[in-house]
Amino acid sequence: MAERYSSFTKGGRLWLWQRITAAFLVVVLAFHFFLLHFVYHADEVTFALSQSRMETLTYYSLMILFLFTATFHGVNGVYNALINQGLTGTKRQVVKWTLVAASVVLLVQGVRTANAWAGGVPLL
Amino acid sequence: MSQSYNRGTIESFGRWREFSAGMWAWIFHKFTGWVLVGYLFTHIAVLSTAIPAASADPATLAAGGDIYTNTIVTLESLLLVRILEVGLLAVAVFHILNGLRLLLVDLGVGLESQDKSFYASVILTGAITVASVPTFVAGAF
Repeated sequence: MAERYSSFTKGGRLWLWQRITAAFLVVVLAFHFFLLHFVYHADEVTFALSQSRMETLTYYSLMILFLFTATFHGVNGVYNALINQGLTGTKRQVVKWTLVAASVVLLVQGVRTANAWAGGVPLL
Repeated sequence: MSQSYNRGTIESFGRWREFSAGMWAWIFHKFTGWVLVGYLFTHIAVLSTAIPAASADPATLAAGGDIYTNTIVTLESLLLVRILEVGLLAVAVFHILNGLRLLLVDLGVGLESQDKSFYASVILTGAITVASVPTFVAGAF
């Protein structure tokens, strides 16, 4: 029988969500790079230009979903990499809740930033 | 029938000369993942300057004199930042291509040629990165 190398908890679903978010991020991260470096250019960024994109509900929704999936994928990846290195017990719990807290801060700050551009949640 | 792959102790980096393609892929994926998650936090921190900028008066925003625009323009005027952005692109492209390779292997596609798909990921990452350099450094000199 094949040895089990996965760092994910057996029977858990975090590994599946890591892959579902991966499939989404592959497309959206490539789009993000292409749009903001090749269509627009990084040295031409202004508040008004960022605002004009974020005021569209489609773009705003995509960026919010991007923020949530990237945060989950990144933080869950770090958590499982550390478990793979042998993190267990109390240290594992401390790391887990520190990562959860860091994620919440990142999500709140990300949504606040998007809303600053959009002037709240765009309706159209 | 399931097959066992003995990868040995990958954490023993001292024997890196013995590492196979799959082990290098594992190491590069972890490394690029750490860089990307670190960048995500930095990215949101820099973009957060849009929060105080939003309360600037319309004339200042129209003239690009707000803290967000100033922060981005100042960072983008530094050659070091442009070079780091090329590095970030390389890291992101490798993570995307190797991630696709992992998704396919998870679906049972290409396990037997996983070493070749790793080499393809590295070569394609190099090609895309080199081809993107002119766009990424435009206006920095």
